[in-house]
Amino acid sequence: MKFFEPSRETWLHRANPALKLPLFVVLFVLTVLTHRIDASFYLACAFLLLLFCASGYPPWKTALLASGFALAFASASLTMILFGKGSEIWWSLGPVSISEESFYRGLHVGFRSIAFGSQGLLLVLTTSSTGLFYALMQRLKLSPKYAYSFMASIRLMPMALEELRIRRDALAVRGTGRGSFSLMRLPELYALPLLAQSIRRAQRTALAMEVKRFDTGKTRTYFYASPITWNDFAAFLLLAGTAAAALLLANGLPVFGLGDMRMDP
Amino acid sequence: MENRIESPPRASDAPSIAAGVENLRLKFPGSHDLLFRDLSLQIGQGEKVLLLGPSGCGKSTLLQVLGGIIPRVTEVPMKADKLTVPESIGIVFQDPDTQFCMPYVDEELAFVLENLAVPRENMRGRIEAALHEVGLDLSDAHVPIASLSQGMKQRLALASVLLLEPDTLLLDEPSALLDPEGRRTIWEAVRRVCRQKTVIIVEHRIEEVQDWVDRVLLFADDGSLLADGAADLIFGRYRADLLRYGIWYPEAWSEAYGDGERSVKEALPVNGELKPSGRSCEPTALAALPGAGISSANLEAPESESWNTPAAASEPLLRLENFRVLRGGKTVCAAESAAVHPGDLIALTGPNGAGKSSLLLGLMGLLPHEGSCEYAGSRPSGRRELRDAAAKHAAFVFQNPEFQFVTNRVLDEVAFTLRSEAEALLRASRTGAFAGWIERRRRARPDAETEAATVRRSQACLDRFGLGDYAERHPYLLSLGQKRRLSVASAIVSDKPILLLDEPTFGQDARNAFAILDLCERLRASGHAVLMITHEMEIAERLATGIWTVENGKLSSVRATGRSRDDAIRLSERGGAR
Repeated sequence: MKFFEPSRETWLHRANPALKLPLFVVLFVLTVLTHRIDASFYLACAFLLLLFCASGYPPWKTALLASGFALAFASASLTMILFGKGSEIWWSLGPVSISEESFYRGLHVGFRSIAFGSQGLLLVLTTSSTGLFYALMQRLKLSPKYAYSFMASIRLMPMALEELRIRRDALAVRGTGRGSFSLMRLPELYALPLLAQSIRRAQRTALAMEVKRFDTGKTRTYFYASPITWNDFAAFLLLAGTAAAALLLANGLPVFGLGDMRMDP
Repeated sequence: MENRIESPPRASDAPSIAAGVENLRLKFPGSHDLLFRDLSLQIGQGEKVLLLGPSGCGKSTLLQVLGGIIPRVTEVPMKADKLTVPESIGIVFQDPDTQFCMPYVDEELAFVLENLAVPRENMRGRIEAALHEVGLDLSDAHVPIASLSQGMKQRLALASVLLLEPDTLLLDEPSALLDPEGRRTIWEAVRRVCRQKTVIIVEHRIEEVQDWVDRVLLFADDGSLLADGAADLIFGRYRADLLRYGIWYPEAWSEAYGDGERSVKEALPVNGELKPSGRSCEPTALAALPGAGISSANLEAPESESWNTPAAASEPLLRLENFRVLRGGKTVCAAESAAVHPGDLIALTGPNGAGKSSLLLGLMGLLPHEGSCEYAGSRPSGRRELRDAAAKHAAFVFQNPEFQFVTNRVLDEVAFTLRSEAEALLRASRTGAFAGWIERRRRARPDAETEAATVRRSQACLDRFGLGDYAERHPYLLSLGQKRRLSVASAIVSDKPILLLDEPTFGQDARNAFAILDLCERLRASGHAVLMITHEMEIAERLATGIWTVENGKLSSVRATGRSRDDAIRLSERGGAR
């Protein structure tokens, strides 16, 4: 998992996850409630830019991770463009009809999905799971029971993946997947051994944790402190500033110059 | 109840009792029998006690009872007149991968300290002290646990247990899944840190602990206490039982296989009192296989003439020339030139991560490759062709047998190989696409005769592997040793000439390990070749005809041990004649 180690730390990395998480939730809501194509366009641009600048990953890695957005953009916008309603028909063939309205609505949806994706990826890339759960336990009173269960399950994930690979090889050796073995049996073939292993492993891990006197009722101390620092303020300014800049640009320097996308644009 | 207690529980020697039970009865839900029937024992403060017994006799369960985990944490119906549980315990379990809940070394140790509500500023110091104590001197404690070797993980588990400052330490086969180096270091660490503590150990391998423990409790198959006494006394007097129970003691290898001179059969205990309960008290592969090994006649294999006749002995079953296995475009194992002949037993050794498993996967065509890999003269070019050739000539047994099971019944597991083989033959023989389709439809419902023959042959194979009584069972419900035998049985039932094994004796008790090795010897005797990954140098030295060493992604040495390819045949003939 060397891939997911940032090469440098930014304000966003140092910000307290317990504050960062609500901050991003606000950004998500803002993105969802954006109805003007200029605003969504600038939001997409601004957060894509911020993703490249502040994620702490080298540009090629960020580009690789963000390449999925192209697919999200295409899938979200194409459906709307090709099948959306509208009066100003540009081109039509059978059920497909591209109208001016549907075209812009499609782009709008696409921009929003890019903005959404950039924000989500930015949050994920700048937050370690351990840090997030420690912050949630200390700041937002998340029960340690759930926090440590999640952290333990994250640890078990790569093992399950490795076993999936082994099972695939083993099935190839046994010669399944050909002949009378239908696709229908495939889930069963994989689920049984992998679940059996995972359940046993989880049970053993749970026992080991209990033996180490993990008791949810007791008071506990925390290895990582979860302080509120100037970094949080900086991160807040950075995110709020980016969003504000996007909205101001949309007002002052509109590219499309269209109104509310829910109405007639 | 025949508790032959050698010495009374030493209440007099030890000032106080660390742990003990009186008249323990315990039953696992779903099992017919009580696991323990009125078991009583006491363990004194500061004693080092080893619990020995066959697999499945309940040692680990007893350990958890003595540690207070059963019934406090794990609910198992049990009853005891009196249960003394240590004030504070620490346990190191067998599996290095399932004892941690955090991704990093320091976080894992901190988890323990958090549970004890240790103030944050004291944590760093205690973490470093604990790591130092177990000999895990990392320059920075913030390293991913996944990057540690298995042996280091066990020492980390020991360190995290030490932070609990327990007065009693329970060790549940902590070295069973480690290589020799890992075994040495974990026991060194245990000895160093546990001088003052009470230690209760469950272990199958007594080499490292025999001169350290004060007292040994020996259990019988049914969970009753067979003997209780000083370590040297038990090891001396109950040696026969140690062998029978599959316990690894230092001389187990030389007693089973002699010093390279005597055959397996000759080395088996022949003393009368031992006979009914020798290694074959559970039918091992050795006991179950016919004297002459697996003859091709009773296996009805269609393509078995060429490789097991003496004339073909010089012809290699597998030949590698400039063979390179790739993973993600990079070479993970390269073999310049190597060959496997009928009757070979090749031990594939080398450090962890050197590329041994990749080599085997490459041979099976499961990973991309370059260069040539010939199976019995045929020279497949692409990956798919290699996979088909490998499927025809080689059987592969994975480390965890469960991953190879594809059916819900032991018998079907073996029959599956035969059925899919028949299907593959059919596919190969079809002429036109349409004719083939019709043929397949027609044959898709096997006629009663073929089906009966398949079942007969599968049942015979199960009998040979000592699994005949379990034909109707679900494969997952077998014991570990049985599972492995089943995976070997289903791999070789169709009489493929090469058997590839990934660490077949790893983590097994001596009984199961020897059963597998005996089986390999039998296969060798009938002209098969075996290629096995192993860390066990005894196998390489005593049984192998060749040793391949893999280092840094390269097959660095291929050397013959001087053991002849057909001595197994000779020995078995001699054995059969007697």
